[in-house]
Amino acid sequence: MKPRLHVLWNETYCKRCLLCVEVCPVQVLSLERNEITEKEGCIRCYQCERYCPDIAIEVMDEKGKE
Amino acid sequence: MDRSYKDLLKLRRFPHTWCPGCGIGAVLKNVAMAVKELGWSDKNTVAVSGIGCSGRMSGYMNLDAVHTPHGRVLTSAETIKTIRPDLNVIVLSGDGDLTSIGGNHLLHTSRRNPDITVFCNDNEIYGLTGGQAGPTTPRGTKTITSPRGEPYSPLRLGHLLTQQAPYFYARTTVYHLNHFKKCIHEALVWKGFSFVDIVSDCIELNGRRLGFKTAHQMFKWFDERFHIVEGERDHLGENELGIARAVEEEVVPPAEKVEEKPEIPMASLKPFTLEELHRFDGTGGKPIYIAYKGKVYDLSSSPLFQGEKRMRCHIAGKDLTKDIDVAPHGEDLVFKFPAVGRLV
Repeated sequence: MKPRLHVLWNETYCKRCLLCVEVCPVQVLSLERNEITEKEGCIRCYQCERYCPDIAIEVMDEKGKE
Repeated sequence: MDRSYKDLLKLRRFPHTWCPGCGIGAVLKNVAMAVKELGWSDKNTVAVSGIGCSGRMSGYMNLDAVHTPHGRVLTSAETIKTIRPDLNVIVLSGDGDLTSIGGNHLLHTSRRNPDITVFCNDNEIYGLTGGQAGPTTPRGTKTITSPRGEPYSPLRLGHLLTQQAPYFYARTTVYHLNHFKKCIHEALVWKGFSFVDIVSDCIELNGRRLGFKTAHQMFKWFDERFHIVEGERDHLGENELGIARAVEEEVVPPAEKVEEKPEIPMASLKPFTLEELHRFDGTGGKPIYIAYKGKVYDLSSSPLFQGEKRMRCHIAGKDLTKDIDVAPHGEDLVFKFPAVGRLV
């Protein structure tokens, strides 16, 4: 599980289907060098986690890590 | 966000085997969420799956699981439910397994109405074998077996499974996520055969041929094609998402009419002696009389006594009060006939 700014991304589970990138309403996620990266500006809507079919992305709690 | 549903998944086998963006992962995840929400555990739940991509789903569930021969998923599930009615049986399978190879079993299992829940991952294609046209492929879709467009109309599961009450049929997609979760929950708590038709995406073997580049573009296509209908429905039309259900109507048996016979006072009846009674045995065109508990009854209209002196062990023209103790029938058979006199 690789921590990003607001999300945890699981490198081994992820198949790079890019659903999380496309469902994000503020477009903070992107695929760079075969890794999901995150910009500033997450609004914690949980859409990426809800739509991910591979349980590869999780939004962290307000306090920090899960 | 509650992530306790992960107890129900075999995470050591992850990442799972399906293609990137496949809808079966979403089905697996949301079914595990709903099962966990209801408090079901590996002690009281069995997952049964058939053949195909979606047949792998039971293998990723941390439950007792059965991977059945092709098309026989519903027969296995019904057997488990019959032998162990305390278990919750969920069926995780696809449209090819349930509706084409196992189509006959689908018809007859829905008719027998066992208490099982079926989640049909309906990707409208034979995905595992490379994208052939299946029974749920919409008309005009280009597949590798129908390069000029599928010429036949698809199987209308919504009509097939809602023909006779009781039924539970829900159609949803993996894109309409809140509706999807609601349908899964309602189907799991429904008592009886419940069928959830989950329209899912097969991006690698169907979507690319249709011109979609990512799974999300296919989701947007589902959003254009389908619309959610609210409330209780009897049937779902084409391109409608919703829940159609009906409970069995209780058949009220018509109340039996009780014919009240006016009580005839004993004194007004014609007196008979045993010798007089003995003459009325049906011979020579005379009526058939018998005596019972002091009254004389006219049994001429009985088909069993007609034209003969006796019917099995009963003899016409006798006092039959003692015969009723050894007879297999009750005394109500005698009271059907009119009383004509009294025995003195």
